[in-house]
Amino acid sequence: MQVRQWLRKPWLWAFLLLVALLFSVLVGSVSVPITEIFDKSTITYNIVWQLRLPRGLNAMLVGSCLALSGLLIQNMVKNPLADPYLLGVSGGAATCQLLVIMLGLSLSAEALFLVGFVGSLLATLWVLKLSYHGRLDASKVTLNGVVMAFGFAAVISFMLSLADGQQIRSMMFWLMGDLSFADPSWLMALLLFISYALLRRQHTALDLLARGELFARKSGVNAERLNLMVFILTALLTSMAVAQAGTIGFVGLIIPHIVRLLVGYQHRHLLPVTLIAGALFLLIADTLARTVLSPIQLPVGIFTAIIGVPVFLYLSRRM
Amino acid sequence: MLKAKNIQVYQNRRLVLTDLSLTIKTGEFWGIVGKNGVGKSTLLQTLAGLLPLERGTIAVEGYDLQTLDSISRARKIAYLMQEQEASLAFTVEQAVEMGRYPWLESPHNQQAITDEILSLCRIDDLRNRSILHLSGGERRKVEIATCLAQQADYLLLDEPFNHLDVVYKKFILQRFKALSQSQAVVMVCHDLETVANHCSHVLLLLGKECYLAGDSATILSPGNLERLFNDSD
Repeated sequence: MQVRQWLRKPWLWAFLLLVALLFSVLVGSVSVPITEIFDKSTITYNIVWQLRLPRGLNAMLVGSCLALSGLLIQNMVKNPLADPYLLGVSGGAATCQLLVIMLGLSLSAEALFLVGFVGSLLATLWVLKLSYHGRLDASKVTLNGVVMAFGFAAVISFMLSLADGQQIRSMMFWLMGDLSFADPSWLMALLLFISYALLRRQHTALDLLARGELFARKSGVNAERLNLMVFILTALLTSMAVAQAGTIGFVGLIIPHIVRLLVGYQHRHLLPVTLIAGALFLLIADTLARTVLSPIQLPVGIFTAIIGVPVFLYLSRRM
Repeated sequence: MLKAKNIQVYQNRRLVLTDLSLTIKTGEFWGIVGKNGVGKSTLLQTLAGLLPLERGTIAVEGYDLQTLDSISRARKIAYLMQEQEASLAFTVEQAVEMGRYPWLESPHNQQAITDEILSLCRIDDLRNRSILHLSGGERRKVEIATCLAQQADYLLLDEPFNHLDVVYKKFILQRFKALSQSQAVVMVCHDLETVANHCSHVLLLLGKECYLAGDSATILSPGNLERLFNDSD
């Protein structure tokens, strides 16, 4: 009980995140002494401020987005196996972005971000439209989302089998998720912050919604409006993450579960801790991905699973 | 006054009640009686404003339920579901607190009211237990407490005594009776004896187009009960 009270304090998590960020900019193929971080005369200054810090911030933003949207979608479709990619979001983004890569259009990173974002948003809206008959049917969303994901996977495999060797390399890396691809975007940080603020205001209503839509409605929650908001925010958060870094698996699935085990079921605690824990988790995974076999960089998706699985199994036995 | 006028009630697109009018006033304790599948629960949900209405109107204190915003509606009408899905591991205290949702913006002392309801419903000792780890009867007590925490003027209860032991049933029945002095209580109940002895009014649903409403002595006459037991359709 005492431990749980501590784990509910967001500043504790923020502190851990800060320590992890400091650690992540110091380690890598070149290790940087802590005294040289602010020394502009050294070469390591550039490594820290222009390579590692942006990448770390990127990991944090993407991790937060994925964890938060995972929390929302598991709550909404009442399915513990749901993850942010359920709504066909990733498939839509991947298909559009790969199409652009394959057609040989050389777009800037921002333009590619936009292509992925639009693609995933369209896919999500499509799934939602298919599942909407007067009101949104959660079980239909799950089923339609899974079916759509298979459809997109087929299209992606088809494109991969047509692509030449050079293209395949960049496409594969993108499909497995890659945080070095783009610089952290301020727009993304702003949208993440706005989404979080909107959700934070509705934390009690989200608790009630978690106990069932009828329960929420009879207790005075405008469930239709809340569901709509949650769906739009899920689509937005996931689309941003995918467009920014490809499909990094496991964060959106496992972090909400781990956080629930740590802080309980009230969104008053779940929302802030999930936000920070998602950032912390992906930052650690990415730091490991680029240091374990350095200078070789491994796909970050490997480490999200390698860390996430044992942590979850340990906690689910203990708590 | 909760007033339904010429309402048509559907259950999953199946027409169950064609044309029903009913007026429920403060100070009344209604029992709704009828066979399985006759539409009691659907009617209760409709009266609670939770189902769309295709024909007829329902008004609470003169406000149309279909257009009333959800917070104001929940301040007026509390509804107890027949079965509440057991979902996440909230504690009993957190669950009862959820009944306070419509009043969160009000200056009430929420914690004090939650505490009061917990002891009123005699579930103080369950306070920190997870609702997932309760027995069926204990869970029912928590659901009733959540409903009472809403402090609405109209209580619509769907088979409130499910899973409850006889002692608690007797106790909570007295609570409902006491509440019906200042509020209105409507309950779906299969126990005719309880309804006959304690309810002031009865709605007897006999079929799609056939219902009787009025004070309990009149409605539960031997002749009417015979119709209930003999109707084959």
